[in-house]
Amino acid sequence: MSAIYLYPRWLRLWHWLSALLFLMLLVSGASMHYAGNPWLLSFRRAVLIHNAAGILLTLGWIGFIVGNLISDNGRHYRIHWRGLVGRLSAQVRYYSYGIFHGAQHPFAVSSAMKFNVLQQLSYLGVMYLLMPLLIVSGWAFLFAAYLPETLFGIGALWSVAMIHLTVAYCLVLFLMTHLYMITTGETLFTNLRAMLTGWDRESGRPAP
Amino acid sequence: MNDFSPGPQPGRRLTAVRSLVMAAALLILAGSLPAAADAPPENRACLRCHAMSTLAYRDGTTGNLIDLSIDPRRLAGSVHGKLACVKCHVQDYAYYPHPQRTKPEPLDCVGCHREGQARTHYPFQAIADQYAKSIHGNGDDPKLRDFGCHSCHDPHALRVSTPGKALAEIVADDNRVCLSCHVEVSDPLRDRHHWLPNRQAHWAAVRCVECHTPMATLADADQRVSHQILPARQSNRDCVNCHSGNQRLLSRLYAYRSQEELARDGLFAKAVFNEAYVVGMSRSPLIDRLSLAFIGLTGLGLIAHGVGRYLAYRRAGEKHA
Repeated sequence: MSAIYLYPRWLRLWHWLSALLFLMLLVSGASMHYAGNPWLLSFRRAVLIHNAAGILLTLGWIGFIVGNLISDNGRHYRIHWRGLVGRLSAQVRYYSYGIFHGAQHPFAVSSAMKFNVLQQLSYLGVMYLLMPLLIVSGWAFLFAAYLPETLFGIGALWSVAMIHLTVAYCLVLFLMTHLYMITTGETLFTNLRAMLTGWDRESGRPAP
Repeated sequence: MNDFSPGPQPGRRLTAVRSLVMAAALLILAGSLPAAADAPPENRACLRCHAMSTLAYRDGTTGNLIDLSIDPRRLAGSVHGKLACVKCHVQDYAYYPHPQRTKPEPLDCVGCHREGQARTHYPFQAIADQYAKSIHGNGDDPKLRDFGCHSCHDPHALRVSTPGKALAEIVADDNRVCLSCHVEVSDPLRDRHHWLPNRQAHWAAVRCVECHTPMATLADADQRVSHQILPARQSNRDCVNCHSGNQRLLSRLYAYRSQEELARDGLFAKAVFNEAYVVGMSRSPLIDRLSLAFIGLTGLGLIAHGVGRYLAYRRAGEKHA
């Protein structure tokens, strides 16, 4: 059994703070979008929570980007193009077939690369594409007075609303998959424990 | 105008006015009208009489009481407060006494507010065109015979709503103009808005004109509200025009509220205590259905995957055993 220190303290703090804000934004966003549903929060309370959590999430995202720039955590987000297709198909094959047949995980976590290629591409998409879109459209809502009336002939505010909504739904899909994938480590809780302690412990891996 | 008592004969009209003028002069001498002193100097002579709240005469032909009084405080605060009275009332009123038979005055807004002039940023010609098409401009109700700009917009008190004034106040002020004639709306037995859910909430939050004017088109995007007041049967009755993706009316409400809050609360407070969000503004039935279907399918897929893993785990356990 070997252990690798994968998640420094700042990253874990950011991760769990984002998780909490994600949940708050999800519940309050749904309460605003489907206002009037008795299972959800009251509209006024939801607006306040959504605005405050959105602002904190923005600060968190900026912290994440800065952290990746000044620490070596950013290297995990650099795509290695060589053999990408092969690694991708091996990963898909594993999750769709091998995992049910006791196959060995095709990717070995190391301190140089902690993400398998599917993980890496989805995190890249979420953190560097969806999150900026979500944040920019969210702030555009907050300061709608400065938006032009139309954008390329379409109502500007409506475009902003649709982008925010679509990205929010995409992130719900991400969250569901992310929560499920946590359980696909060596045991159900291996990955969860790693994000809590920072240490990734796997029995099958040779000591570094 | 309301009838209160039998009035003087037509020929005695100006005599009655003169006696009122005398009373006004006495009041001014007593210093009871300080606001008149705020007026431009050339208006003081006019306001000596017209600042009296009781200055009026009864029209000999119609029998209506014609109110000639001007509230000097409201005039001073209005958009026309710095203008000399005779700038608009150009004929016959430069001197006192006014001639007994005055010529009719061409007091339409467009006469002064021509397109392209620096003194206004409102498209008055477009407004006049819209008004001509409105139910107020071309309705066949005899009550509309003398209807004009001034029926709704009192030129002696008109103020432009600027961001910073509370939204509820703007809405209430705006709707008060409509309700001053359309009194049946305040009577639950005669009001025809019974179909509208949450009537009071709507009336507190939106202006009558939001539904009773056509949606602004791209051509007049710089003008937030049309002056083409629609007849009731053509007015907006479709909830989704506001509470959904149709954007123009929604954008109008949202952008104004947002602007108003920015001016009132400042940038940071606005971001946190943003109350401008309009219920339903992000609603799109297509995106909602597609996304919820995707979420449902993903959920089912993940459950199926999990069950598969569990079965494989048990099978592997049995093999080992």
